[in-house]
Amino acid sequence: MKKWLKKHKNFNFIAGAIITGVLLLTVLIGIFATPYDTTQMNVADKFAKPSFAHWMGCDNYGRDILSRVMEGMGNTFLIAVLTVLIGTVFGVIIGALCGYFGGLLDDILMRINDVLFSFPSILLALVIISLLGTGRLNVTLALGIAFIPSFARIVRSEVKKQCSLDYVKSAALMGAGHMRIIFVHILPNIMPVLLSSVMIGFNNAVLAEAGLSYLGIGVQPPAASLGRMLSEAQSFLFTAPWYAIFPGLVIVLTVLGFALLAEGTTEEE
Amino acid sequence: MLLSVEDFGIEFHDHDSPERVVEGVSFTLDKGEILGIVGESGSGKSMTALAIAGLLPRKKLKKEGRILFEGEDVLTMERHKLRGLQGDEICMIFQEPMTALNPTMKIGLQVEEALRIHHTEMNDAQRKERAIKWLKNVELDDPERVYESYPHQLSGGMRQRVMIAAAMVGNPQLLIADEATTALDVTVQAQIIKLLQKINKESQVAILFISHDLSLIRQISHNVLVMQNGHLVEKGAVDDIFEHPQQEYTRKLISAIPRVEL
Repeated sequence: MKKWLKKHKNFNFIAGAIITGVLLLTVLIGIFATPYDTTQMNVADKFAKPSFAHWMGCDNYGRDILSRVMEGMGNTFLIAVLTVLIGTVFGVIIGALCGYFGGLLDDILMRINDVLFSFPSILLALVIISLLGTGRLNVTLALGIAFIPSFARIVRSEVKKQCSLDYVKSAALMGAGHMRIIFVHILPNIMPVLLSSVMIGFNNAVLAEAGLSYLGIGVQPPAASLGRMLSEAQSFLFTAPWYAIFPGLVIVLTVLGFALLAEGTTEEE
Repeated sequence: MLLSVEDFGIEFHDHDSPERVVEGVSFTLDKGEILGIVGESGSGKSMTALAIAGLLPRKKLKKEGRILFEGEDVLTMERHKLRGLQGDEICMIFQEPMTALNPTMKIGLQVEEALRIHHTEMNDAQRKERAIKWLKNVELDDPERVYESYPHQLSGGMRQRVMIAAAMVGNPQLLIADEATTALDVTVQAQIIKLLQKINKESQVAILFISHDLSLIRQISHNVLVMQNGHLVEKGAVDDIFEHPQQEYTRKLISAIPRVEL
């Protein structure tokens, strides 16, 4: 490990890994135990300042903010991971088919893609949520669908590039079928590009989820969510600034950590 | 007779006016024969080779004539049947050994690819044995190590040897070498030519050797086709073509071979 660090003086990667690691650890701990019950209200602790008992203070109902941040982070991470998963899986399938086969299928799917792409993904997610209704599952689904076009486009152009190389022709000549060529031969070669777009996609998903919850259509109370906490804290910004600062800080750190990690992995190559 | 091309032609239809790139090409190829196709860029030699390998796109292209491989027409053959031939009976090696191998796959897996597709009855150990045998046959040192390597760890000449091993692993009847030595330097070129001749003798595979380099063609081929602008200019035994060229174009080509005079 020490040798590796010396060889790769990759500040971005190390910093990103540390930030993300600490946050992930917190989320994992939060799944099993939080310092206080996340929904337990306590009038005596209303707007308690950060102290040893309550590291991040308490909110307007006297709930422990650290506990709620831990739960909110868990929700955010879960939604972001699933969103990126949906976006990647369908994006890869659509993009790969379009890039490989071209022709009419490509034209039709990519024009639909263009239409979806022309809306900001948060707006698209809003439309889908207004059709499906709110809730964790629906938010994930909506964001996932909204993320497909960008992945499809990246994958398509990469697959097109690989298709012009001889090894693809060579595989076809070996008698390999289309699906084998796409998924066994081409896909591993677009992994570097796919990986960094997955990481950037994860960041966008974190922000989009926080945005939707902030607007009140994401995770529903009493479940905690970072975006939701921010919007509630807004009204108490001057009486209890810590209520807004800590959830906001966690969002920033999450995005920063992943951005550094993504930067670091591209440097590695 | 292994391969018989009869009055073959190709017309591109992807622009407003159709464009003929190959017209009226006929020739035959016997088992174990090495046939050289020579011609300048754009003479249609690569298009003909791709057609024989069944790699021409099916759309935007009009094909004429017949290409009979062991009596069956490659041009009109059903897709699954064609795929059964490709990699098993007909194989091809390409010009750029740098891009012809998949950069993320180990050499061993790539050599075994044809076996994995066509000989599903073989198990992993048998496949590996066969791949190693061929890596040894193409005169690579330390085939076990090469088997575990990735393409970027090998030199251009080694990669082209790997390509030949990957093509030959299924014991094909026909090997198409499309400018297979063009991207290599002269000494490696000579080694690859020798290797192809050795493989041709040992396993009786017919070779279609496409090149614009007349001296290579003369060295390796039994018979020669000369192509120009999509037409067949002249065909015959290699000595006849080089000693007594009948056509003006052939004569010009031969006189263009650089000679070292001291």
